[in-house]
Amino acid sequence: MRRNLYISGALHLAVILWAIFGNVFRPDPPQVETSAVTVISEAEFAALTRAAQSPETAQEIDAPPAPEPEARPAARPAPAEPEPAPNPEPPAPTPEPEPEPEPAPEPVAPPAPVTPPDTTLPVAPPTPEASAPPPVLAPERAERPVPRPAPRVAPEPVAPPEPDTTVAEEVQKAAEAESESAEVVEQEQEATAPEEVATEIVTEAEEPAAAEEPAPPAPTLAPDASRRPLTRPTQLAQRPEPEPETPKPAEKPAEQPKTETAKTETPKAETPKPETPKHETPKPAAPEPAEDAVADAIAQALAAGGAAEERGPAGPPLTQGERESLRVAVQKCWVVDVGSQAANVTVTVSMDMEPGGRVVSSSLRMVGSSGGDAASAETAFQNARRAILRCQADGYPLPADKYDQWKTIEMTFNPEQMRLR
Amino acid sequence: MTRLLALILAPVLTVATVTGVALPAQAQDGPLRIEITEGVVEPLPYAVPDFVAETGDAAQYAQQISRVIAEDLTGTGLFREIPRDAHISRVSNFSSPIQFSDWKAINAQALITGAVSSDGGGKLTAKFRVWDVFAGTELGQGMQFSATADGWRRLAHKVADQVYSRITGEGGYFDSRVVFVSETGPKDERAKRLAVMDYDGANVQFLTSSNSIVIAPRFSPNGSRVLYTSYETGEPRIHVLDVGSVQSRMLPTTDGVMSFAPRFSPDGSQLLYSMTRGSNTDIYAMDINSGQTRQLTTAPSIETGASFSPDGSKIVFESDRSGSQQLYVMPVGGGEPVRISFGQGRYGTPVWSPRGDLIAFTKQNAGRFHIGVMRTDGSEERLLTASFLDEGPTWAPNGRVLMFARETQGAGGASSLYSVDVSGRNLKRVRTPDGASDPSWGPLQ
Repeated sequence: MRRNLYISGALHLAVILWAIFGNVFRPDPPQVETSAVTVISEAEFAALTRAAQSPETAQEIDAPPAPEPEARPAARPAPAEPEPAPNPEPPAPTPEPEPEPEPAPEPVAPPAPVTPPDTTLPVAPPTPEASAPPPVLAPERAERPVPRPAPRVAPEPVAPPEPDTTVAEEVQKAAEAESESAEVVEQEQEATAPEEVATEIVTEAEEPAAAEEPAPPAPTLAPDASRRPLTRPTQLAQRPEPEPETPKPAEKPAEQPKTETAKTETPKAETPKPETPKHETPKPAAPEPAEDAVADAIAQALAAGGAAEERGPAGPPLTQGERESLRVAVQKCWVVDVGSQAANVTVTVSMDMEPGGRVVSSSLRMVGSSGGDAASAETAFQNARRAILRCQADGYPLPADKYDQWKTIEMTFNPEQMRLR
Repeated sequence: MTRLLALILAPVLTVATVTGVALPAQAQDGPLRIEITEGVVEPLPYAVPDFVAETGDAAQYAQQISRVIAEDLTGTGLFREIPRDAHISRVSNFSSPIQFSDWKAINAQALITGAVSSDGGGKLTAKFRVWDVFAGTELGQGMQFSATADGWRRLAHKVADQVYSRITGEGGYFDSRVVFVSETGPKDERAKRLAVMDYDGANVQFLTSSNSIVIAPRFSPNGSRVLYTSYETGEPRIHVLDVGSVQSRMLPTTDGVMSFAPRFSPDGSQLLYSMTRGSNTDIYAMDINSGQTRQLTTAPSIETGASFSPDGSKIVFESDRSGSQQLYVMPVGGGEPVRISFGQGRYGTPVWSPRGDLIAFTKQNAGRFHIGVMRTDGSEERLLTASFLDEGPTWAPNGRVLMFARETQGAGGASSLYSVDVSGRNLKRVRTPDGASDPSWGPLQ
């Protein structure tokens, strides 16, 4: 036994030593290339370098903003300061008699009068199809999917990916159209329907209004809600009473959305039984009073889960590197005018994102500012907006599978470190 | 063999590296929040195609006006014009839709389109629009100005001021004038005349003859009058000149006493000046209409170079009461002056910024002259220039740019005007036909 150990140890040691001293990690020595070299004299070298430098000196002279860059001024009083080299003045004042100044300066003609600005120009010409339309269409698509997929899939960390967003659009239409059918089963809904489902359906029915104001103002707060979903599955497993939840059929109005979301949920949750039968039996009988407790518990759990989804995006958060790449992408386009009043303003901009990483331009808005008056804040916002739009190109480099995490972004532009002191 | 081992170890090392580098993901609640603290300081690229000439005789003006607009904007150092050769789209009609994609392709962030027309009677009309290319929207509203044909440069400056204001959110300064001392002749026999010019050195017009030495002109707040000091009587005396009629008169200061360094109050009703009695120089305030004077300082030292704060409640001046020339601030109504400059060297010619947040000054230290700015309490001093002789700063109407005089060294040295952004960038010479000194920037017209 020990012998094997020794052998093993010896072999390992040998391998390590070989790896260290055997040039394992060193690349193969590059092939040595030879080239012919000629020897030149010092004078020739000086001549060569002089010739090569001449254009550089010319550039240096040109660099200062002084209007009349000449080669000479640099040698004069010009210090090694960032000032422009004093421009060459006429060497000696011309002795010629000063051109007779107009003895009596004529009255200075007041500047040519300019009529007050007239802003009655016709309305700006319509912008061409290229840039304007897309941004208008995009936001609506992006916003609607946002509230829908999140609430239903949230409890599980597995994020409902893009497919949900496309489904959502269709769902909206269906929901509006079928809203009437839902009313037939209203009673059952009130009695036993899980609160979560009921509220979701309502929001979908109210699409137009809800779509404009994305869910971010999550109604419930995070901590409590996130715990409940965890406990729910175990409870449900203990009580195999799926059917009591008759209310779900009542939610039928939005059939399509539910069925699809149900599909997504069933694989995740360990309690598929209770839900699948519901969908299969669209119109069960009225709920039994004895089952209310169970229904309530489930409803609470589901509601908590839904709240959690609304509160925080599902799925793994962005890594630090992903955040950094976004930050770097924007900051290289953020032009700061350090001498302006706007350089004293910190502004926060909110924006909605398309799944492709592009910004919904119409969603850009200032959600906060500090450090300046309204005009300065507006200028700072415009600068920030310009940076965001200019650098997006075909979309910011954000992971598509974490869309839920970055579908809404709040970006704070803080010029404090760049401000003049 | 070596390569085999390397192949085996490489993935292991890679995994280890990645694992080590990957930082723990942060929990996220609500929208993704990013803070950006580093930006870039660079000119904003813009495009200004030649304005469209809507009438045949407006063609030459259309091109000239668009060029002056471009010079104005580019001259600030805050904007960079994209050469017309790089333009993809051509603007041939003021009302035609803008192809934003074409302007995005050349990275133009702002686009200025315009048209010029003439009524045939010598009246020009210039209209323009400013576009935010990447947002695909118009900045502000279309606007138009009219003027006589010989006022086409003012038209251009007006348009440039509007563009500047819409993009930066601050007032412009292009349609403004500067009064200065024009200098000709050798250094020991220099003729000095008052002259006025556009802010960019164009349209120079002389206000006085060279019969007597004149110094330190100061525009009134509305630009209609100029205060200056003349040695016409052999000693410095303050005069006020009406710019329109070029008529001047001497202010009723005490005879036989030197009075100099005048400056208007923000409302134009009073002026500050210095008067020397014996070896003592103090600051006085005079009501221009009534001629009544009031002594503001009483120290047995030299106080001069006073300048009002924009609200007219305080003055800043230079004094050597501490043994060296320093800057002090005191209320106009009287009170103890408070020293605000504490750096090495001597400070002089203070001027309060139109914004009210900074005081510009001339500083002499270690044989060099500087133009600098500091907060009104003396903090955050920054030197913007350095040379053999820089002096006499004056603020642009928007408080963003300083103009000053720079004199070169030696017997052949001459004085000329320079401007510099308050950030210390964009130092450049203002072209004048002759030597120039003592600039005073007038108001936006």
